[in-house]
Amino acid sequence: MTPYTIKIITPEKTFFQGETTQIIAKTTTGNVGILKGHIPYVANLVSSPFLIEVDGTLKEAAISGGIIKVSPDNVTVVTNAIEWADEIDVARAERSKKNAEERMKRNESQKEFDRAEKKLKRALNRLIVAGKR
Amino acid sequence: MATANMKDVKRRIKSVESTKQITKAMQLVATSKMRRAKERAVAVQPFFETLFNSMCEISRDNDFTSVFTSKVEKKNTLMIVIAGDRGLAGGFNVNVLKKAAAKADDLKQKGRTVSIMAIGKKAVEYFSKRDYNVTDTFSEIAEGLSMYGAMDIAEDVASRFKKGEFDSVDLIYTTFVSAITQEPCEMAILPVENLTSWGGQRHASCVYDPSPEEVFEGMIPSYLCGLLYSAIVDSFASEQAARRAAMESASDNADEMIENLSLMYNRARQAQITQELTEISSASLNDS
Repeated sequence: MTPYTIKIITPEKTFFQGETTQIIAKTTTGNVGILKGHIPYVANLVSSPFLIEVDGTLKEAAISGGIIKVSPDNVTVVTNAIEWADEIDVARAERSKKNAEERMKRNESQKEFDRAEKKLKRALNRLIVAGKR
Repeated sequence: MATANMKDVKRRIKSVESTKQITKAMQLVATSKMRRAKERAVAVQPFFETLFNSMCEISRDNDFTSVFTSKVEKKNTLMIVIAGDRGLAGGFNVNVLKKAAAKADDLKQKGRTVSIMAIGKKAVEYFSKRDYNVTDTFSEIAEGLSMYGAMDIAEDVASRFKKGEFDSVDLIYTTFVSAITQEPCEMAILPVENLTSWGGQRHASCVYDPSPEEVFEGMIPSYLCGLLYSAIVDSFASEQAARRAAMESASDNADEMIENLSLMYNRARQAQITQELTEISSASLNDS
């Protein structure tokens, strides 16, 4: 497969910049795989595993929402947070999962509940990618 | 010259010296904090630019309406005011808060309802003491601000805007011009304006999944988050720069005071010695 360039930008830094042959991401409407020569495409991403194929192997990362912008020979991903599978702090993810669950149980207001739910989704996603669930 | 006076002067020198130690330490701390905040402010730029470009492209490529861009007559304004958590930073807090208060009063005169979201302890204190409708307060979040912290606020603002709780959002904060100049500035952040000013060719072939509107609205929280995050970090860098400058001049003043006091002390000592000598010699004259 022909490689193309991908750039993943977070507020803190450029997380990844380099060549890939294929990526698999989850948008609000479902999973998409992007190969070289894809038509221009823009979508919102949800908290999910994010796969990048580099040198024949799929590297997995946990992404917490963002947008993906595709043009025929490059892809830009803008996200608030993304971590490689092997860099995920499992203990911290467990903690924030527990914290979010407790907050959801307290059921204070719709706003709090939604916020906790989002947090739980992010934590679960990190755990799934880290392979602890 | 009395010995009591000399003691006094000596005590004052000591007290000024210990004050100087404090101001000097604060100056150093502010310098390093400022440097770190500046790095964070620079790092967030590419993120925000890409996001904003995409938003511009969407509105350029498509004719659509969104609650976030519609220009209805503005009635309710939310003002997000960012100031520092601590004082001793020269005119930093006063400048930005004065500007915010003036703006709020101006909007009120135009017949709008103004609610205030105060970020930073000084902003919270300032507006709650006065006659303003403060709806949200955030204290001591600037220094360790994470993206999630900013995201929480951004999502909250976006959803309340969508519900129609307010129809415009203004941001007032201090921007870092240079290590010596920091300027309070204001920015209208919602509804999103100036999107089309970027111009360029339409790329009608671009696919937006599921629809341009939804992609656009999905970007809004991130966009706000980016704005808020960079504004808070910018303001924090300015606060540190202002504090550094204030502490530098305080240290300089302390140096000057110490110099003057030392001179005074030495004069007093000299006078005392001279007087003692005169006394001794006149006493010996009397003896003989």
